[in-house]
Amino acid sequence: MAMKVLVVDDSVTMVMSLKTTLTMNGFDVETANNGQVALDKLKSGTRPNLILTDINMPVMGGLELIGKVRATPGLKFTPIITLTTESDTTKRDEGKRAGATGWIVKPVSGDDLIKVIKKVLPGA
Amino acid sequence: MASAANREPVRIAPAQAAPEWSEEDISAPPGNSRLRRARNRFVVQTVVRLVFILAFYLALSAVLGQAFIPARSQAAELLLLFIVIPLLLGQRYEWSRARKGIAELGACGTMSKTELACVATRRAAMRDELIDSKPYIDVMHSQIGDSLAESEREVIQVIEQIGTLNAKTSTQREHIAQSIKSGRELTESTHLRVENNKQIIAAIDLQLDAQTDEFRNNFERIQGLSHEIGALTPLIKVITSIAQQTNLLALNAEIEAARAGSAGRGFAVVASEVRKLAVLSNQAASDISKKINATCKRVDEEMGSASESLEQHEASGAMNQLVADLGEMQLQFADNSQLLLDVITEVDANYEESVSRLTQALGHIQFQDVMRQRMEHVQESLVEMRDHLQHMSGKELDSEWCGDFDRNFTEMLEAHKIKYRMARQTVTHLAVAGGQASSTHERPSIELF
Repeated sequence: MAMKVLVVDDSVTMVMSLKTTLTMNGFDVETANNGQVALDKLKSGTRPNLILTDINMPVMGGLELIGKVRATPGLKFTPIITLTTESDTTKRDEGKRAGATGWIVKPVSGDDLIKVIKKVLPGA
Repeated sequence: MASAANREPVRIAPAQAAPEWSEEDISAPPGNSRLRRARNRFVVQTVVRLVFILAFYLALSAVLGQAFIPARSQAAELLLLFIVIPLLLGQRYEWSRARKGIAELGACGTMSKTELACVATRRAAMRDELIDSKPYIDVMHSQIGDSLAESEREVIQVIEQIGTLNAKTSTQREHIAQSIKSGRELTESTHLRVENNKQIIAAIDLQLDAQTDEFRNNFERIQGLSHEIGALTPLIKVITSIAQQTNLLALNAEIEAARAGSAGRGFAVVASEVRKLAVLSNQAASDISKKINATCKRVDEEMGSASESLEQHEASGAMNQLVADLGEMQLQFADNSQLLLDVITEVDANYEESVSRLTQALGHIQFQDVMRQRMEHVQESLVEMRDHLQHMSGKELDSEWCGDFDRNFTEMLEAHKIKYRMARQTVTHLAVAGGQASSTHERPSIELF
């Protein structure tokens, strides 16, 4: 059965390109255009194998989302990888403290992205 | 707000009449107004101080006693002198300074009226330009916004095309995968059938060879039997000849018996019987000959049939060839199936490569998001610049404004350094404006914690 990835990004092009990329490589994809929408989906029962989130988003950003996901029962150990233009070291450390599994700075090559995801999800 | 297109060109005084000027000149209010205010302030200050001195003197008199005033004692006079005279001297000094300042301002006002008019014209022109910078910046802001929206639309089109292509390719891949499975099964089945058919063909071949041998043996046996039967024909001739000679002897015996008369009557009977026996023998030989001929005829017919059967068995070699050809066809079919399988496998491998390339292409599309964020930052900066310039244009008419800003361009530019998200933004900033980075971006682009 295909692994499910929740893609969270406020950029339409990013959401579409990530969805197409992941679908092509055999993943099921759910999308959300900000942290709040993602959190609502998680609370309504969506259980992804991996969350791929942007950091700077309207309504609810990625760091806040990570913190709330980690506080949600059943999602404490769900891998969360950030995919963001934010390369500042301080922000990365904030992400790490919040509970992120990894930090990827845009732009990242599609192959590298798939390799990282497969590394985090060995069965994918 | 004045439009740049509709506004009259600003007239500036001749260059020789325009002295160098500074921000202080621009920030100074008109000279006459300042003179009036300084004079009024000095008059009020002097009156207040005199009132204060008089009140102090009256209070002192009340403390020292009513009789003290008419007496005009020496101490009171001295006290009055020590207090009033320094105050008056101080007031005199301030009045001198004020007069000097007023005189300088007055001289400035009379000497630089032309220059001040020129400065005012320039200031008006600058104010109009500052005001007109708003639509200019708004247009540039919108141009960037439209470009971003257009690039986003186009990128979405590309992604949709890639998605559609991938969906179709994926469907084809499923068909190909099914074809690979079917092709593999067909090839294996064909190989198995060919192997089975080889065994069957070998068995048929052996059986046909055995049948041919059996046919040949039967034919040869029948042929030998026919020869043996044919070999009986001379014996029939011998029997016929013996019968004829016996008949002749019997006839002679009958003649001799007749010649012997009654003595030879018995012998005549015997001779007659012998002659009948010879006739019967001759008839039997004739019958045997007929039957042998009939048998030979039937044997010849059987031999003909056997020959045909043998020919048929020989013709069965063609059937062997046919079976061999069929086997060859099966082998070719198996080879073609393998070739088709190879082609399908290659197509499948190409699909894997296509997925990899499309994945790479989609990765490059992230640059649109990177560019969008950088352009949005530029848009925010344009808005900031526009608001700052509008703020400046409003300050120009503020007589109380002393030239200070809440934030100037240098401070705003410096503040951008902490807003940058990308290392590239900081690099570009430092390359143009110099200075030190306020954040570090030295970690790898992919990091697992």
